[in-house]
Amino acid sequence: MPIKTLEIIRKRLEERPAELQTARQNGQKVVGWVGYNVPEEIIHALGFIPVRIAVGGDDRLVEVGARYASSKTCVFIREIVGAFAENQDPYIQQTDLLAFDATCLQNYRAAEVIEYFFKKDVVVLAVPRNFDWDEAKKYFAHEANEFTRLLEERAGAPLDSARLAESVALYNDIRETLKSIYTFQASRDNVISWEEVYDLIQAGELLDKKEYLSLLQQTLAELKELQPNPVIEADDGDSRLFISGSLIPRGDRKLIGIIKSVGGRIVGDDLWSGILPHLDLDIKEISPAGVALAYLNRTPHAALPYLDLESDRRLKKLHELLSTSKAQGVIYHTLRYCDPFTFKAKETKNVLAKSGIPLLEIHTEYAGSDYEAMKTRVEAFVEMIRIKAEFVEEEALLANA
Amino acid sequence: MGKQLFRYSEANKEKFLESDNITFNDGSVVTPEEIWHYLTVEGPEKYPGTFEINLYQGNRASRDETLPTSLKTHYLGLTFSERMERAKDKGKSIAFIQGGQAVDPYTAADTIALRPFLVGQWYHGREHGNDINKSVLRRKQSKEKAFHDMSFEACQTGGYEHIQSGNLRVDVVAPYTVLRCSDVSYGVEAHRHGPNKEVKLFNVDYPLRYQASKPWAVEYFAQNLRRLVKTLDEVSGRKTTEDDLLKAIKLHNEGRRLGTELAELWWSADIPPTNSDDRLSLVSLANLDMHGDVQASLSVLKEARNIIAERVKNGVKGHAVTDNPKRIFILGSCVGINDSRSEDAGAIVVGKDDQWSHCSSLVEEEGDPFYNLAKATLEYPYEQSIEKRAEWTIEQIKKSRADGVIFIHNWGCNTQAAVARPILDVIKRETGIPTYIQERDLHGLQHEQEQNRVNAFIEML
Repeated sequence: MPIKTLEIIRKRLEERPAELQTARQNGQKVVGWVGYNVPEEIIHALGFIPVRIAVGGDDRLVEVGARYASSKTCVFIREIVGAFAENQDPYIQQTDLLAFDATCLQNYRAAEVIEYFFKKDVVVLAVPRNFDWDEAKKYFAHEANEFTRLLEERAGAPLDSARLAESVALYNDIRETLKSIYTFQASRDNVISWEEVYDLIQAGELLDKKEYLSLLQQTLAELKELQPNPVIEADDGDSRLFISGSLIPRGDRKLIGIIKSVGGRIVGDDLWSGILPHLDLDIKEISPAGVALAYLNRTPHAALPYLDLESDRRLKKLHELLSTSKAQGVIYHTLRYCDPFTFKAKETKNVLAKSGIPLLEIHTEYAGSDYEAMKTRVEAFVEMIRIKAEFVEEEALLANA
Repeated sequence: MGKQLFRYSEANKEKFLESDNITFNDGSVVTPEEIWHYLTVEGPEKYPGTFEINLYQGNRASRDETLPTSLKTHYLGLTFSERMERAKDKGKSIAFIQGGQAVDPYTAADTIALRPFLVGQWYHGREHGNDINKSVLRRKQSKEKAFHDMSFEACQTGGYEHIQSGNLRVDVVAPYTVLRCSDVSYGVEAHRHGPNKEVKLFNVDYPLRYQASKPWAVEYFAQNLRRLVKTLDEVSGRKTTEDDLLKAIKLHNEGRRLGTELAELWWSADIPPTNSDDRLSLVSLANLDMHGDVQASLSVLKEARNIIAERVKNGVKGHAVTDNPKRIFILGSCVGINDSRSEDAGAIVVGKDDQWSHCSSLVEEEGDPFYNLAKATLEYPYEQSIEKRAEWTIEQIKKSRADGVIFIHNWGCNTQAAVARPILDVIKRETGIPTYIQERDLHGLQHEQEQNRVNAFIEML
């Protein structure tokens, strides 16, 4: 049974660019943000309209971006640069200024290139790589204040603490509601799919935040009515897959489509463009530094190096999410030249192998030329998981006989 | 039957023997006689590939036999591997670092700092008797190991192939990360899953986005340097003081000043006093890290500065330099064009931003040495915004009177590749000098397509 609110969200997304245009005509400013550690609440509290610039799946734009940022830059960043070059994306067209972070060095380079070639006003938040050090946190707190100061200059007004508290409360509610909805997609006899939840998460990157929260709450209410008691189980007959690795932004649904087409069921992710950024964000202090540090203290992005494998929080989180979602295998998605994730593919495979979880790395870009090759590999992986699950089930039956 | 090998001519011996000794960190000295013997007897036996008669592909450091300091850099290169083994036997600490950084804190902590190229040189120098093809093949094979364990899209693998798979006795992997390159950062992290559990890992976090004007960023980087020294001390068991760092800064400032003088002398000459290879091998001594022994580098650099001054005064033309060569400035990551083939095509390389940026950045000697070093490092021109980096590069281009600029980057070097076009864009706009972008692969012999493009560019100039 379709979730009615999802239809409303799709319609609201269609209307959103025109709405932004009207808002700008009425004097509001739109901030396009790109990154993992951009504290969106600060942007929101300053009265800006935040929209996330995350586009993918268009190899023509990748080619255009390569003319400015080289063909050696990751395809996601190339597409973003290409989209700024063409200026046809309805959200990019509506941005008054941009906020980038320097979590990923390529992200940072994109900020430089966009600033230079397309004369965009760009504010960059520096991010320490030794993120778990006290000195790094102190440095990052300074950077967050500086980032806020630069935004205040553009807003023409200082950040009001009460408004920041309101924004934090709003975003906290959004995160909590999203987490509740997320449970439903992984459950037995689910009435909402992971793909639908994924689109729902990404809708929040564009819609008005208050309206978005209301739509999420409606969605959750519908889900509770349709499925009062969601239970996540491993033996529900599906090949339960988890997606990890490079982000999968709006417009890029190649891998997700392939998994579905060969009968695999996605039940979880730890993608930068998925649920991960919404998890474990605990803002302890209502201040720019307090918000920014909460972002830094989440599960770290793969672009930030961490030198001890045993205590790596990213891998711990992956294990935790695999366990919660009862996933049977991981599809590790790496984009061409996405170094933060490609460098870790083999290591992640070895780490998961110790827990008996198979991992398939799919290295791809936005061209369609590798579609069939990807499909063959994913199909074989899904089949392998299904056979393995059946074998385990038979073994259990025999043992009980 | 083996290939016929190049031999240094006896005709140059007498003059060479009149040149200076090389003095090393431990106070030991090697005389010109000993160097000559090594270059003519021992070296060809151990490293025949280096002595192959092959002007285009050989990796003999210099083709100018009349330039004593270049023969000395060749000697230091050939003996590098055995010197590192000896240093380890004597209990010296060795650190893996990044190519675009100064090494003052490592010197202060009595640790040999080796950039990726040198780690490879140490590893490959342990095997003797290889011809050039075998040597290149071996380098490619070891790189493949690292690609397998990390990513085939890696340009820089953090010495993984040698330190993890190759059991090289590196004590600590501790580069300045994300300075000029992001792959080194991922390469350092990759060591955590390698079989070598003994090697210590440390990130010296270079904060991004033109941070030199922010006191909190300078302080944060200074804290990183303090922690680096502490980590190096944990390895060596010594206690490095602020005074040790100040002494190291003074020593390295001397190298940086001499290197700058040498480069400016070279640029001031109407006739290039050396060829491209010799210019680079001498100017890059300024960082004092190139041969794993800061005192040895300094002693050769001092001598080189005087020889270049003499050559400029007397209008001596460098070996194999054509009349009125087209002057090329190289930008980009840690690679360059084939100098000798480019000279044959009528060009000369007059500068390179990558080596030059940190070699020409002096450190303040009054005040907190950690803070001063942090500030100077954050001010490296190479790490500034597109406009600022281009502005500094234009100054160097003008000083060197370059006729053309090539931005060259390795395959997989997204950090430098991403800003190649905008930087050249500013340079073209401000100077009108022709430019182009070139991509290359590491450790290959077959660079015909690459050289075709270089030659076409030279012809166009």
